[in-house]
Amino acid sequence: MNQILRTALVVCFVALTTPAWAHAWAHAWAHAPVMGIRGVFGGVLHALLIPEHGASLVALGLVLGRQQRPARRSGLMIFAAALACGLVATGLAIEATLASDVLLAATGILGLLIAAGWGPPVLGWPLAALAGLAFALDSAPETTSTDETIRMLIGSGLGAIVALALVAEGAVLLRSNGQPIVARVLGSWIAATVILVLALRIATRFATG
Amino acid sequence: MFQLKRYLLSFVLVLLASPALAHSEAGVAIDFMGGFLHPIFGPDHVIAMVAVGLWGAFLGAPAIWLLPVVFPLAMAVAGAFGVLGVPLPGVEIGIAVSAIILGTMVAIAAKPPLWIAAVLVGAFAIFHGHAHGAELPVGADAVAFSMGFVVATGMLHVSGIAFGTLSHWPAGRVAVRAAGGVIALIGAAYLVRAL
Repeated sequence: MNQILRTALVVCFVALTTPAWAHAWAHAWAHAPVMGIRGVFGGVLHALLIPEHGASLVALGLVLGRQQRPARRSGLMIFAAALACGLVATGLAIEATLASDVLLAATGILGLLIAAGWGPPVLGWPLAALAGLAFALDSAPETTSTDETIRMLIGSGLGAIVALALVAEGAVLLRSNGQPIVARVLGSWIAATVILVLALRIATRFATG
Repeated sequence: MFQLKRYLLSFVLVLLASPALAHSEAGVAIDFMGGFLHPIFGPDHVIAMVAVGLWGAFLGAPAIWLLPVVFPLAMAVAGAFGVLGVPLPGVEIGIAVSAIILGTMVAIAAKPPLWIAAVLVGAFAIFHGHAHGAELPVGADAVAFSMGFVVATGMLHVSGIAFGTLSHWPAGRVAVRAAGGVIALIGAAYLVRAL
């Protein structure tokens, strides 16, 4: 009985706070990066406040959080390495127009894995690499100077890695406290959101030619 | 207790935070709120989604989390088809029947095998998802809109689960079953209107 009540309380808390965070999230990304905030900190905000990016970090963190510590650390390292490669490419002004869509697709698959309660390293690691690369390629800041671009990219990389590590460790706590349900519900919400977003994007592209 | 206060404080602070809107027409805000309010302003959808939560709570673990996980996923897939203009006949009838069946399941305290409950909920989610998807504004801020839409749907399930947890007490069990009966009756009214 206590377990049921505790689970209901946690689910209620998540359900009550998620719209608040999502509401704040949805407001703060009208420009990327956030207007007026530049430098490394601007890069950190850039990494966290774009919904696709935030959702991908949450999804990947939840998947990595299901794995044992060595596999989790390997996943983080793979993400960091792919992220670094992508950030260098972005710094060299290599454009990747589909990066956002690829990141969304990877996030959707991660969401499905979370909802299914299944995230073996053999799937988690390639997705971590894909997400890291797409994340970085979709992180090109709108700046005019090279120095500013480099500072913001460093901030984006640091912000993404720290956020991912925090979510992954948080997911471990969630699992060890017997609350895997919360993660699975979040995973289904992430996957459902991604499916709708991709459909809307495809429909919009068809509509606008 | 201290942790709970901290959570509540952070929740209140987030709600109080003023939005950093970059455009006066506030397109992003409208899109998120539009998505969030979309399922809530459709009573036929609301009762069915609450019924899913009620039934999940009634069935207990693992249905309590499986049904609310299955519903948004099936709904999103059907919603994608709706967005892309793929037709689905009898959507309104399907939505009304979903409320009748799900409400009845709660009212009679039906406990079928888990897979049957999941298939039933998934099948009904297709009608709800398609109806929503067909109404989604193409060209909207897809991420914010979809996020609000899915979160609102999940919250409706959670409200059903929260109410459904009363079923662990005898009086609460009666209240939950009565709520199921009311949902079935409302669904019947929608069915008559749809026919």
